[in-house]
Amino acid sequence: MRNSIERVLPRGAGWYDAVYVSGRSTPLSFKNNRLHSVSESESSGFGVRVNLDGRTGFSYTNDSDNIDGAVKRSVDMCRYGDRENYSLPGDAVVSFEPYDDDINGFNLQEEINRGEKIIDDLKSSFPGINVDMGIASSTGVARLLNSAGVDVSYKESYYSVSVSCSYIMPDGTRIETWDSRSELKPVDCSFLKNILSGKIEKALHTEKISSGLYPVIFPPPAFGRLLSFVASGFNGVSVWKGISPFSDKKGEKVFSESFTMTDNPFIPGSPYSVPFDGEGVNTVKRFLVRNGVIETFITDLKYAERLKVEPTGNASRGYSSLPSPSFHGVAVEPGNISIDEIISGIDRGIIAEQFIGLGQSNTITGDFSASLDLAFLVENGKIRGRVKDCMISGNIIDLLKKDFII
Amino acid sequence: MILLLITVAVIKAENGIEMNGKYSEAVYKGKRILESLPVDYAEIRLASSTGTGISLSGENVESFTIGESVAGSVRALNNGSWGFATFNDLSMLEKYIKSAVLSASLVSPSEKTVLTRSPAVEGNYKISAVRNFMDVTPDEKFTLARDYNEILRSSAVVQTTRTGYRDVNTKYTYMNSEGSFLSYDKLYCGISLAAIAKKGNVVQPFHESVSGYGGFELVTGKETLAERVVKTAVDMLEAEPVPGGTYDVIVDPKLCGVFIHEAFGHMSEADFIHENPRMKEIMVTGREFGPRSLNVYDDGTIPVLAGYIPFDDEGLSPRKTALIKDGVLSGRLHSRETAGRMGEEPTGNGRAISVMKQPIVRMTNTYIDNGDFSGEDIFDSMDDGLYAVDVIGGQTNLEMFTFTAGYGYRIKNGRKGKMFRDVVLSGNVFSTLKNISMIGNDREMFGGLGGCGKGGQSPLPVSFGGPHMLIKNVLIGGKM
Repeated sequence: MRNSIERVLPRGAGWYDAVYVSGRSTPLSFKNNRLHSVSESESSGFGVRVNLDGRTGFSYTNDSDNIDGAVKRSVDMCRYGDRENYSLPGDAVVSFEPYDDDINGFNLQEEINRGEKIIDDLKSSFPGINVDMGIASSTGVARLLNSAGVDVSYKESYYSVSVSCSYIMPDGTRIETWDSRSELKPVDCSFLKNILSGKIEKALHTEKISSGLYPVIFPPPAFGRLLSFVASGFNGVSVWKGISPFSDKKGEKVFSESFTMTDNPFIPGSPYSVPFDGEGVNTVKRFLVRNGVIETFITDLKYAERLKVEPTGNASRGYSSLPSPSFHGVAVEPGNISIDEIISGIDRGIIAEQFIGLGQSNTITGDFSASLDLAFLVENGKIRGRVKDCMISGNIIDLLKKDFII
Repeated sequence: MILLLITVAVIKAENGIEMNGKYSEAVYKGKRILESLPVDYAEIRLASSTGTGISLSGENVESFTIGESVAGSVRALNNGSWGFATFNDLSMLEKYIKSAVLSASLVSPSEKTVLTRSPAVEGNYKISAVRNFMDVTPDEKFTLARDYNEILRSSAVVQTTRTGYRDVNTKYTYMNSEGSFLSYDKLYCGISLAAIAKKGNVVQPFHESVSGYGGFELVTGKETLAERVVKTAVDMLEAEPVPGGTYDVIVDPKLCGVFIHEAFGHMSEADFIHENPRMKEIMVTGREFGPRSLNVYDDGTIPVLAGYIPFDDEGLSPRKTALIKDGVLSGRLHSRETAGRMGEEPTGNGRAISVMKQPIVRMTNTYIDNGDFSGEDIFDSMDDGLYAVDVIGGQTNLEMFTFTAGYGYRIKNGRKGKMFRDVVLSGNVFSTLKNISMIGNDREMFGGLGGCGKGGQSPLPVSFGGPHMLIKNVLIGGKM
């Protein structure tokens, strides 16, 4: 591959790098309580970035016979690019692979049986329920090479199960809920049906609530969605463009002392872990916020140069696009209080599980406004039932400055 | 100029589409194998695309790329179960046909999939362009995008901008075991224009996008649109959030279109109806859904619009389907599978975002048709209410919807007053449809490089639209 790139590069070309990815996946899809389709998918692609006279061009192809064509196009596009003066890393190391050999134990028939069992169990608890489910296994190889001498590749494996169900109560009220898991290897995810059953059980009884200010509990999936608005302000791109509310606040204490948020490329068992990023920068766990103080904005090589900081190893890259900064796995450091304790400390409040319409407002500033799709009323420390037809609004950044419990 | 550098053997195929050797060989092989494949039904889709993408932001060139991709898929139905295989090495077609057939034959499902069948059809379709963008130089495309971007940057309070240009030329071949053979030389292009204004801690983005099937003429001459984007973003800095409450609301043609697409159109998709017992009870044809003046259509036959299709991804012709006629529910959208399952006529709405995905029921060009009133009549009739303009986003859950309008104005005695931002409309689609009290005669259609998402397939090009419309008693969310 290196030869086919260098053969085409003009004399005096600066640096280049290229990614080649290939993968194979087997997704199963259950619709309306039954197996709907079994698929097999194979794909590969090649993307190449060339820097000529300090300007960068890029092109891609998934036709393995036309690598030359992509390199030529990339060279031709250089003259339109911005000036970029960073150099490529030469020390990318495959310290681990986001891969588990057990992925080869994926057994189609076994998965189908497990899926059908989950559906049967949910059906027996909630007659008339409609369940859709996706189960997929995939493996792949990602290869990166560059003019600084790097030519490394790692294997990837991925297994996922997602279940969504819709249950209509005799009075016509609809409860829709879902959950999913992603792993490096096939694992029995039958426990998902218990999580979903639990949520449906709690929603069978409905309660009324009037407008006002209430304490609200956001379970991890719901909190994660709100957190993504905050995290977007830590992306080097929005910082550099000046649209992040944190652009000029590095080193300042913006959040409450109890708030620490990290970006972690090494979450054990996570299929989203990577040894180095899309440009070959080795990855490290970063503190975005430590005890309320803003510490790191994530960057790729380009935005590290623009912001005059060290690259953080957050370049994300498919074969058909240029790298751009993105998070590996944003996590908030847990507090030391259990969810049951939080609930028991509330006189009158709400647990917000699922939203409709979140993310339509001006999320850069942290504002949110959404209808509550699935939410529960808490009274005197106990979950009373579901609350319907209400909206929630606020500003997540402001809320994380004030009193909250993790 | 740059495209000429691609060194592939170009041959002229029978159907008039230029293809490289592997592609035409796959077409030939696929056709032959389908003739005698031992399954109930099978289809092969092949596509080869070349596309240009430009993205500018502020004073920077984020990316300018010309890329290409080839892809193929085989879908087979055997004994009521689907097998599907996708690949990008077209020389391996036979292997993937076997794989799809094997996948389909693995299990014998309890409830079998039944398809609507169709007689064999043949056709070659080609988008006509005033000026084919494949003949436009990269320089000219770049200049166009840069000029729009300069307009967006023209205000001092604009913090940053994003200007996107995209074009794609796809050679698409569809063939199935019923003997249908269709080819389509597709030209799709569009631009998106966004300005983000900032003053103190207030950040206001605004965005517009246009797209369609045709040539470079679709994206030139949009200076006025770019000016409107920057003006709106800047004006919104001074706007206050709207106080929450119940209002009579005039929606503009774009919000009208998004409302009918999101809140009602998705409910007219037969897979949705079939999967939801409650929807089956509600979506009964013949039932009254709105005023007599309310007519809603989905029509994939309208050329140029982003939802145009010469045939759907199951080889069926599109049509104009009346979803609501004179206020009464009169139709729904089908794929072969949902039509077969519900025993109704197919409507040619089986669509996929690419050959790598399986077709599902999707909309095309969906709109509320014109009524009797002029825009002026509607504003004149309003003593006190809101005018909600444009849309930032929307989400629905069965009959409940939430939309965020781009911005809005207070209307007093027919006159536009104070501007508002964060105008979030929510409610029940059925009661909202019944609350439509005046429908204008100034329908417009909107596309854009975004598109519609469903079942993990996004973005699918669609268009939507309608006229100005007065809706009574709409719940507007606001801060307390």
